[in-house]
Amino acid sequence: MTAPTLMVVVQRYGDIAGGGAEAHARAVVQRLRPYFNVEVATTTARDYWTWANEFTPGLNAVDGVPVHRFPVERGRSRDFRLRERRAFSETHTLADERAFVEAQGPVAPDLLEHVHRRGRAVDHVLFFTYIYYPTVLGLPLAPERAVLVPTAHDEPAIRLAIYKPVFCAPRAIAFNTAEERAMVHGLFRNERVPNEVVGVGVDVPAGRSADRFRQRYAIEGPYFLYVGRIVESKQCGQLFDAFARWQDSRGMRATLVLMGHREMPVPDRPDIRLLGRTSDEDKFDALAGCVALVQPSLLESLSIIALEAWACGRPVICDARSPVVWGMTYRAGAGLAYRSAAEYAEISEMLIARPQLASRLGASGQSFVARTYTWPRVVEAYLDLFAEVRARNA
Amino acid sequence: VSDILIVVQRFGDEVVGGSEGHARVVASRLARSHRVEVATTTAADYWTWAPYYPAGTSELDGLRVHRFAVAEGRDPEFKSFEAKVLNGEHALADEGEWLRRQGPHCPELLEFLKDDGGRYDAVLFYTYIYEPTALGVPIVPERAALISTAHDEAPLRLAPYRALFQLPRAFGFLTPEERDLVHRTFRNEHIPYETLGLGLDAPGPYDAAAFRAAHQLEGPLVLYLGQVSEGKGCDELLAAWSAYRSRPTARPATLVLAGTLRMEVPDRRDVVAIGRIPDAEKYSALAAVDALVLPSRFESLGIVLLEAWQVGTPAVVRADNPVTAGQVARSGGGVTYRDARGFGDALDRAIAARDALGSAGRAWVGRESSWDAFDARLAQLVALTIE
Repeated sequence: MTAPTLMVVVQRYGDIAGGGAEAHARAVVQRLRPYFNVEVATTTARDYWTWANEFTPGLNAVDGVPVHRFPVERGRSRDFRLRERRAFSETHTLADERAFVEAQGPVAPDLLEHVHRRGRAVDHVLFFTYIYYPTVLGLPLAPERAVLVPTAHDEPAIRLAIYKPVFCAPRAIAFNTAEERAMVHGLFRNERVPNEVVGVGVDVPAGRSADRFRQRYAIEGPYFLYVGRIVESKQCGQLFDAFARWQDSRGMRATLVLMGHREMPVPDRPDIRLLGRTSDEDKFDALAGCVALVQPSLLESLSIIALEAWACGRPVICDARSPVVWGMTYRAGAGLAYRSAAEYAEISEMLIARPQLASRLGASGQSFVARTYTWPRVVEAYLDLFAEVRARNA
Repeated sequence: VSDILIVVQRFGDEVVGGSEGHARVVASRLARSHRVEVATTTAADYWTWAPYYPAGTSELDGLRVHRFAVAEGRDPEFKSFEAKVLNGEHALADEGEWLRRQGPHCPELLEFLKDDGGRYDAVLFYTYIYEPTALGVPIVPERAALISTAHDEAPLRLAPYRALFQLPRAFGFLTPEERDLVHRTFRNEHIPYETLGLGLDAPGPYDAAAFRAAHQLEGPLVLYLGQVSEGKGCDELLAAWSAYRSRPTARPATLVLAGTLRMEVPDRRDVVAIGRIPDAEKYSALAAVDALVLPSRFESLGIVLLEAWQVGTPAVVRADNPVTAGQVARSGGGVTYRDARGFGDALDRAIAARDALGSAGRAWVGRESSWDAFDARLAQLVALTIE
């Protein structure tokens, strides 16, 4: 018997910078290869902002998997911010919503033709990310075999009417977290669509060394770690303020280590260390030795770095307003959340002062990750969802 | 008491059409226990969608009716464009274009659904094929019921309808055959549904003898009631009738065609075309004949069969029309035929067993199409949509 066929549709694919959902798609493709004849349908874009045509259109292979790339007819439009404001305004029209999706890009009509024709010749079509053109216009072309990985968080776009079919028409939905599922069900009343919290598997290397990290970057004493793009939209500004106020007001000394691409000003002070983009080895070494990982972002559908911190046995400090990160941290019993700069300081001091508490929270996170976010469980969850799709279409 | 909106492409006294008629009946029945409003267009004609009613909010049957201007009616070149989309090489985008060119293109109705749809507990959409439904259900899928009135026709497979049939919270089907077609085509068996059928008023007084006398009809009679056209299968009916009558064993009988003539009818003594008859005369005609024949291949709900059974007259229908053959199978009120040869045998059997078949049909229609039974099915559809 030949393996069932699976088409994966995603806005970008391959060797590209950043992109949680795209990296997620590629990792899932690798893990599902043993069970399906997998093919990927994507665009020629490499950059998530411009969507400029950088890859060659046509059929090639990534990690040995066939990838069909279709040209981007229009990337992000120059008046995107205007289109976005209009679509998000109270009095917007349906035409404003369509204009927003097109202005956001990547507009790739040939990709839609491909989903239209090829999509119904395969057993399953897996769409990554609810928000972009390929999913918004592609999923309705093969709804009876579509599985959606929304990677959604609560943001203005998800409240537009144009996204309702994306969440109500597919055959199944693979959520990243229980919190994402609750939010989507609250917005769309689509509980009827079969679904599962699937997420991703987290792999951490053995031989992590905090000492190696401290030596390489000359870091002494207790330190907290932030990993990710350093941008205002992830609440990094608030984090810097809270950290600086804490350090400037009282005794307990600590360092805030930042790993990731800087896209905003970072205060120039000795206790905030900007390391820029680093290797995976540095990241896991740093995780091994931190007091805690700090995840200030409010808009995450799944914080992979938090899962990695837990897998390394370290706790997470997060903003109590973040429904996903705090929801997961709370369920996992694997960290603490702050509601103010004062609470942020108190939590930080408590974790420095009570290393056993920090380690206990970290260990609790480790077992949470082992229960849910491991590849064998993720693969099994996908196989179950796909089996259900096939059974219904048989 | 719930707030219910009914969306339908046309609505009004001047509107003739099966699904629009059903929508109007459903609106009136639901208004007995709910607050019901209607959202529709300014069109009265299903082909041109030319503006006929003024835009704005008015009242009909005691209901608030919101009418929105038709921005574009049917494209004059629609037929040739459709031929390309249904049979020729075309792009995906042409399938969306086909929907728009079919009309009525009515963007204000869609904006109304986006802005005001949330005021209603349930929104019932009529007829899958037109733009107000195809683009309207995706705006309020969380409260939508789709009364699709689907036939097995080529447009059902076009791209604009693929997601449509996965979206509503519930379906209202006119017949079990429509349900089977939709399930087979879209594999959406998991969406709750109710098979609505129709409710009918009791026939009231009728006089079979007066009908025979008025039209000077004698002996065994077979009635066709409806528009006399090739589209309705009347050409095949006449050919089958001619074959039946030329059998050596043929008994005397007359085929009565009651309806507007839209085709040539052969000039022969055993075929009598009496033109369209007034509604008041309908039940007298049905009661006066030995059998009703309904030769059409496509029918979303054979209402005339139900009416024949109300007065105990058996029906003769095509075996390859799943809807009417299904109605006959469920009611036991008639006979089916496969071809011109079988037609004669079916007719003989129907005439010979008129009383038994007729009373089976009468009992079935009394059960299935009473207002109580219909209202209960409607209530179930509303409950499935809201819960």
